Amino acid sequence: MTAVESETPAAAPEGTGAQRRFGGFALQEYALVIVVVLLFVVGAILKPDSFPTWDNVRNMLTQASVVGVLAMGMTFVIATSGIDLSVGSVLAAAGMFGGILVDPEGSTLVFVLGAVGFATLLGTVNAISISYGRVVPFIATLAMFSIARGIALLLNDKLPVSLLDLNGGSFGDPAVFSLLWFGTGRILGIPISVFVFLGITAGAWLLLNRTRYGRFVVAVGGNRQAAKIAGVPVRRTIFTVYVLMGVLVGIAAVLLCARLGSASPVSGNLYELDAIGAVVIGGTSLAGGRASIVGTFLGVLTFALIFSLMTQLDLSTEVQQVVKGAIVLGAVLLQRPEARL
Amino acid sequence: MSLQRLLIAMVAAVLLALGAAACGGDDDDDGGADAGETTTKESGTPASGGDKGPVTIVASVPPTDHGWLGAISKNAEEAADQYDDVDFRLLEAADSDSQAQQIEQVISDKPDALVVLPQDGEALTPVAQKAENAGIPVINVDRLFSAPDAATATILGDNYQIGVSAADYIGEELNCEGKVVEIQGLAGISVTEERSKGFTEELKKVCPDGGVEIVARQPGDFNPDTGLKVMENILQAQDQIDAVYTHDDDMAQGVVQAIRNAGREDEMFLTGVGGSEDAMAQIEEGGLYRATFLYNPSMAASAVNMARLIALGEGFEELVPPEVPRQVVVPAATVTKENVGDYQEYAFN
Repeated sequence: MTAVESETPAAAPEGTGAQRRFGGFALQEYALVIVVVLLFVVGAILKPDSFPTWDNVRNMLTQASVVGVLAMGMTFVIATSGIDLSVGSVLAAAGMFGGILVDPEGSTLVFVLGAVGFATLLGTVNAISISYGRVVPFIATLAMFSIARGIALLLNDKLPVSLLDLNGGSFGDPAVFSLLWFGTGRILGIPISVFVFLGITAGAWLLLNRTRYGRFVVAVGGNRQAAKIAGVPVRRTIFTVYVLMGVLVGIAAVLLCARLGSASPVSGNLYELDAIGAVVIGGTSLAGGRASIVGTFLGVLTFALIFSLMTQLDLSTEVQQVVKGAIVLGAVLLQRPEARL
Repeated sequence: MSLQRLLIAMVAAVLLALGAAACGGDDDDDGGADAGETTTKESGTPASGGDKGPVTIVASVPPTDHGWLGAISKNAEEAADQYDDVDFRLLEAADSDSQAQQIEQVISDKPDALVVLPQDGEALTPVAQKAENAGIPVINVDRLFSAPDAATATILGDNYQIGVSAADYIGEELNCEGKVVEIQGLAGISVTEERSKGFTEELKKVCPDGGVEIVARQPGDFNPDTGLKVMENILQAQDQIDAVYTHDDDMAQGVVQAIRNAGREDEMFLTGVGGSEDAMAQIEEGGLYRATFLYNPSMAASAVNMARLIALGEGFEELVPPEVPRQVVVPAATVTKENVGDYQEYAFN
């Protein structure tokens, strides 16, 4: 790995140059923390009875979990200077695939395996065309964006599939490991989907920052030629990030369907933009070579807070759009590498 | 190198084919609607294959990727299938541009009648006029053309009346006392604005002293997962909700799920719009889903029937003399537990 360090300083978490960068990173993350805290405080002032409550925090984290899981995978994809525009469509296709497997009869396990398996398959198609077929990620995943949405609509003749039977049709207290449990069940007062999201975040952090694979990912995005010379398996690294993305899309599909109690062919519309947005405001460079899981996590929280706050304040759509855009722009300005507090 | 690429392309194709085969792919005609291209759909039965059929009807609709639009094309096809003397073709177009091009082509085929649900009424008016000028009668469905000479006959639902019916129902059920949430459709389109305007204005008439307060009004984009998320947040903000007026039965399923997940289904009731099978089943069951207001995609079946009558030179028997009216407005009937039995056969899914 010393070779990588000398060839691509951007990729190495150690060394003098990297230390400065690491410091810059920390600063950016603090800046986003300020945005998150600020949004929470504003919410608490404007809606003192309903916003700063544990119930609402739980609600926001649950809502954040679907896009959050996508954003973790997207961080790896973008770190290799790639992009995945297909995640929203693949999410819908995965849910529908799992759905038809268990309609009219089946178990939660079959649904989960079906959804995750199908998303992984579509992710693998992306991976093959990008890493070995040398198709530009933007185009390959744009094609998949269309293909997967088409498949989602084809699977059940454009109709949603109800999944309530997987929970015995009951509400309130779903059985452990039933599908609804993944959406609304709790352990120690914390929703299962939040555990899944936090678990994947922790896993993603370890993978990116504490393993050789994580260094490969950043090295490939930083300078592909240099990484290749340094002995990084470039193609295999690129291949695996899109497969990983597929697996995570499948998990996100399960979390969404669990909460919705059904699989819908029109779900996941434009989720890719939320996921990419969260990654980018979190400080990961669209040019690749620089990635931050903590930043992505904070980016996801920022979006969840904005959405929750604005719906709770019952702002009109047009005002919401202006405010959301302004907050995102402000957050990005505040945490760009050049910004020093 | 090129051999390698060929190999990869083949592997990718096989994987995709596996995926498609695993879908049970019984239906292979309409998935490409997103691809930015136009797709063609033939009505399947050999009975309508032409040798018996003296009239040709072509229908042109937007991509059917939403429950209601899907039902529109199904209803049109089923209506056409009933007749041996109708040769029917359904065309889906991804956007206004390709729909206009499609209709241009159809004009040169000289069908006996053309049924059009335009993506955008304004944008497709010129090409509809062109069809009319070429002697092809145009039946305009749901979204209006902007000129009267663009269609021979028009059939449409009444979005404003939907809002009015909803306000009448909710006002009465609440005895003009309570907190109401409105989950709207897609912001900025006339369907949503009319459904909202009718509701607000009629609510003032039904409950002139106020009493019914609209505590939240947010768009759910006609989409169940957006409906779910928006309702989750509104439930956080409001500790008392008495009724929810949603703009669409499909989207309402997400709203219903949010309310159930929060365990608050006994606190409020909900209404939908459209008349889907799911909604009607839940209305019959009783409980949270109390009513829906018909915006029935069976209007597409009526449109095909009207097109056939016009093409054959016939008319509605009940009219004197029998003719096809210039405009038919489908009433926005209120479907509740009491009368759901009368409407279930017209439910769409």
